[in-house]
Amino acid sequence: MAQFKRVWLLWPVLGVGACASAPPPVERMASAEAAVRAAREVGSDRVPSAELQVKLAEEEIQKARALSNDGDNREAETMLLRASADAELAVALAREDQQKVAAQRALDQANELRSSPDRAPQEDVK
Amino acid sequence: MTIRIPLLGSTAVLVVAGCAASQAPKELVDARAAYARASAGESAQLSPAALHDARVALDAAETSFSNDGDSTTTRDEAYVAARKAQLAEVLAATEIAKRDQEVAKNQADAARKQNAEATRGQLAQAKEQLATAEQNLQQADRDLVKEREARAAAEKKAREALDRLSVANALAVKDEPRGTVITVPSGVLFASGKADLLPGARARLEPVAEALSHEQDHKILIEGHTDSQGSDASNLELSQLRAQTVRDFFAAHGVPADHMTANGLGEARPVADNATAEGRANNRRVEIVIQPIEKR
Repeated sequence: MAQFKRVWLLWPVLGVGACASAPPPVERMASAEAAVRAAREVGSDRVPSAELQVKLAEEEIQKARALSNDGDNREAETMLLRASADAELAVALAREDQQKVAAQRALDQANELRSSPDRAPQEDVK
Repeated sequence: MTIRIPLLGSTAVLVVAGCAASQAPKELVDARAAYARASAGESAQLSPAALHDARVALDAAETSFSNDGDSTTTRDEAYVAARKAQLAEVLAATEIAKRDQEVAKNQADAARKQNAEATRGQLAQAKEQLATAEQNLQQADRDLVKEREARAAAEKKAREALDRLSVANALAVKDEPRGTVITVPSGVLFASGKADLLPGARARLEPVAEALSHEQDHKILIEGHTDSQGSDASNLELSQLRAQTVRDFFAAHGVPADHMTANGLGEARPVADNATAEGRANNRRVEIVIQPIEKR
């Protein structure tokens, strides 16, 4: 019976111990926020698909903040993994769009040069 | 006892139901599909590192699902795996666009080079044409100089021929505003009232024809004139016939026929008094007028 009592007493200790083992995900938060900033810097707001990913990332950062405030640091941390993944995808989508635009411009220029030799356009500085 | 057996059976059903309830969450299903799509596309060649990251993330999500079932961690990891698979696809598409751009740039460079070569070719051709034109111009200048010299020589020769005519054949050669005029008295050429040449006329006309044959650049007007004896009409006709006879003679002796015009003027232009025999003799004449052809 005394053994049972000891076990019961240990439960809260274990619970507290579990919470204490997951500190607030400060680094992941900083990393996710940096990824969002990077996405904005490459012009994600000009590419709808990239803009969507940025918005998702921002929402996930908010959720992670709320989870961390509630002490759910482990869940906050994996939520921030989502945020980073979304922001990184946003960067890639924005760059993909820019690259496609540049490729199309180069193709148009090549076609123009081949069709009208007299009017040679200036080489595009990229 | 009869009651407990169905209870055991229902427990088994509950256990099975428990396994069925732990089916893959939507995030994991999406992640598997996203990875399958990415690995079937160009990512394996163009973004293998990103595809590998996606595989690692998917494996982590699968492990999490095996260990913990449909947990928050499983869903989050699966979500991340799906995004990484998408990232691999986007990177592959970006690489394709980059390669397209390179190809287009090379094509543009080739076209530019070709255009430049064409322009250079046109320029070279134009230079060549210019050089040819300059050569032609210089040749034309030389030709012009030669032509002038030749013309001066011909004129000199013609002048000398006329001078000889004047001196050796005792014919009147005068420079008048309308040209150089050689006057041949009709008496030495024709019998009275006739338009046929006398036998001795040939000897008088041949040196004239010889001198005229040098006058390539001149037109030659042959005018017949009479005195005032007889009717105007008969004089006009006679003078016309005589002029024509002289013209035919010259044409037969090397003077270009298309340079010559024969014209009968009758008694209209006397040079002396028709009241005296000497005056009338002077009025009966054939005048050969050498006129320069207007310069082109």
